[in-house]
Amino acid sequence: MISFSQVSKRYPGGHEALVNASFTIERGELVFLTGHSGAGKSTLLKLIAAIERPTSGVVSVNGQNVGRLPRRAVPYLRRNIGLVFQDHKLLFDRNVIENVLLPLDIAGSDRRESFRRARAVLDKVGLLNREKSHPLSLSGGEQQRLCIARALVGRPALLLADEPTGNLDAGYAADIMAMFRDFHRVGTTLVISTHDDRAIAALGGRVLHLDHGHIVSGAAS
Amino acid sequence: MKWLSYQYRALAVAARRLFAQPLVTLLTALALGVAISLPAGLYLVLDNVERLAGSLPTQPEISVYLAPDAEAAQRNALAAALRKHPRIAAARFVPRDEALKTLAESYGLADVIDSLDKNPLPDAWIVIPRVADGAALTALKAELQKLPGVAEVQTDSAWAERLAAALALGKTVVMLLATLFGIALVAISGNAIRALILTKRDEIEVSRLIGATDRYIRRPFLFLGALQGFFGGLMAVGVLAVAGMLLRPAVGRLAALYGSQYQLRPPSLIEIGIVLAATTLLGVLGAWLAVAHTLRQVEPPR
Repeated sequence: MISFSQVSKRYPGGHEALVNASFTIERGELVFLTGHSGAGKSTLLKLIAAIERPTSGVVSVNGQNVGRLPRRAVPYLRRNIGLVFQDHKLLFDRNVIENVLLPLDIAGSDRRESFRRARAVLDKVGLLNREKSHPLSLSGGEQQRLCIARALVGRPALLLADEPTGNLDAGYAADIMAMFRDFHRVGTTLVISTHDDRAIAALGGRVLHLDHGHIVSGAAS
Repeated sequence: MKWLSYQYRALAVAARRLFAQPLVTLLTALALGVAISLPAGLYLVLDNVERLAGSLPTQPEISVYLAPDAEAAQRNALAAALRKHPRIAAARFVPRDEALKTLAESYGLADVIDSLDKNPLPDAWIVIPRVADGAALTALKAELQKLPGVAEVQTDSAWAERLAAALALGKTVVMLLATLFGIALVAISGNAIRALILTKRDEIEVSRLIGATDRYIRRPFLFLGALQGFFGGLMAVGVLAVAGMLLRPAVGRLAALYGSQYQLRPPSLIEIGIVLAATTLLGVLGAWLAVAHTLRQVEPPR
């Protein structure tokens, strides 16, 4: 599903975020990215979603060379990828369900069907009774669950999560990780960057460990 | 179907954003409206002047002087030609003796004329044309000049030509003002949209991350420009309506003093439609420029 072949990313100014990374992730796999902050975890995820382009090497997702994807094709790639951000990136000028509806609206889905799916996914993350609430009135854990609901509502085959539990206390973090395990069980491919060793131990799955932009372990599945 | 629903939703988003800041919307519409009402108002004034000029009883006259040696057959042919001419409203024959008498009576030149041993005046036709503008008059004059038995043709068209020239100048000024204020409209609308885009930075960034195309992001802002232009146009029509209401009694009184039924002509529905369509299009143009420029700034760095 995802393959990196000798991928390097150098930012303007010379910082090498990723050096000569090669690995593959199979469909339906659950992979954790670990490493100190600044090790290149976020960069790796951004390369998969075409938020960044590699300086050299080939990033391929579903057989598409993502690094060479023309600008106008990038939105359609992203519609098949669910993104979960550490800072949630919710829109505070609309309520909970409208945040979840945004990806469907962007994809041009039928309005009534969209509401049905948004409610279903809010139910799955336990926020159905808050659908009319304002995101600011939600707790940190609830905001993260809302972000996950938004990532899932388009039924992506691939979910990328960048430190999804980074700002959460242990109880909420366990909640979120349990949710990810459920998605993994229904066949979603998951790539999660985290510091949370307990979660890794609880969920199992491959661990891709990064150190200063180098993949030091887990490259072979 | 999907296309239509995208358009509809973008329009709904645009309308919601406009009404979310009613004061800004109102002020922008006011700025646009006042700017557009200037050329539109001047156009209406000119149109009214033109119509007033057309209704004035003073028509230009053409004097057709006959050659002294014109034969009877030529005279009869000329009379028939003038009476049947499609662009001549009326033609009156003035015999040379009558002309001399009128001259003597109306200008007090009896003594001078008595001292003449023969009448120096030719027979003449006074022609009132159906056309009033300078070019048509000149053409008619040239045509009459060529008729057999005609010695000379004089037109009293200077007045009509001056008015036509003044109106043409006025129309050029209207075009110039309309162009300038059209540019101003694009700038005002573009600036308002740019400010709005910057407040929507987060939304644009998030939308991009979850698969929004540039078109999806651009669309509501273009509709916003269109709506803003449309409201500006409505405001301009409103300004003109108020101005017309204030002027109408005064014009009526002035006309009554001259014994005229003249009334100000309000803009026609078609003219209102043209103003609204133009402001809407210019609003879209402003939004397009703002969006093209500003979205590149909002672009996440690669």
